[in-house]
Amino acid sequence: MNALNLLFTRGTMSYYEHVFIARPEVAPQQVENIVDDIKKIVSDDGGDTIYTEYWGLKKLAYKINKSEKGHYSLLRIDSSSSTVNEIERIQKLNEDILRFITIKTEEISKEPSVMLKSSEKKDVY
Amino acid sequence: MKNFLPDITQIPIRSPFLKRKKSCPLSGENAPKIDYKDTKLLKKYLSERGKIIPSRVTSVSSKKQRELAQAVKRARFMALLPYKMD
Repeated sequence: MNALNLLFTRGTMSYYEHVFIARPEVAPQQVENIVDDIKKIVSDDGGDTIYTEYWGLKKLAYKINKSEKGHYSLLRIDSSSSTVNEIERIQKLNEDILRFITIKTEEISKEPSVMLKSSEKKDVY
Repeated sequence: MKNFLPDITQIPIRSPFLKRKKSCPLSGENAPKIDYKDTKLLKKYLSERGKIIPSRVTSVSSKKQRELAQAVKRARFMALLPYKMD
């Protein structure tokens, strides 16, 4: 039932987390442009981007079409599903994007993700 | 003199393999949240070959094991975790 009243209270908007990997040859500035394009798409369709994050040039766990490293970037958006379809269509067309994933999340937060948090302070498990 | 030593034969033999009544490390209120980006946490539940360790060994509850498996598969897709480590 919670999905239903969620639907009525917030319309068809839901929270999405989008992470993509860009080719290493691409400059970080260009990754910024890609993120800005996505922000534009989201704002055009009435959603809004809650939080964006750039993890930098990370080593990939395995080679993705010949590249060892990749620029990781994360976006948390609050939008309808049509916006997500549009974003994914753009990402597929863009050759610089090696891989991307969009996940529907229950709640959304502005704090840095685990990726940045763990690098800031060395927490010992 | 009262015999304070417990009767040795009564003590149950604890088999090392069976993790009896061990609470699931991932459920409970201050347990870490399972997130596909948290590779440090996921790595603890992967074998050294990079395979997911079965829940009967890590005594993780089945609900959390399903979430864990989904997170590991997402991390592998996003090249945060390798599919195989040799």
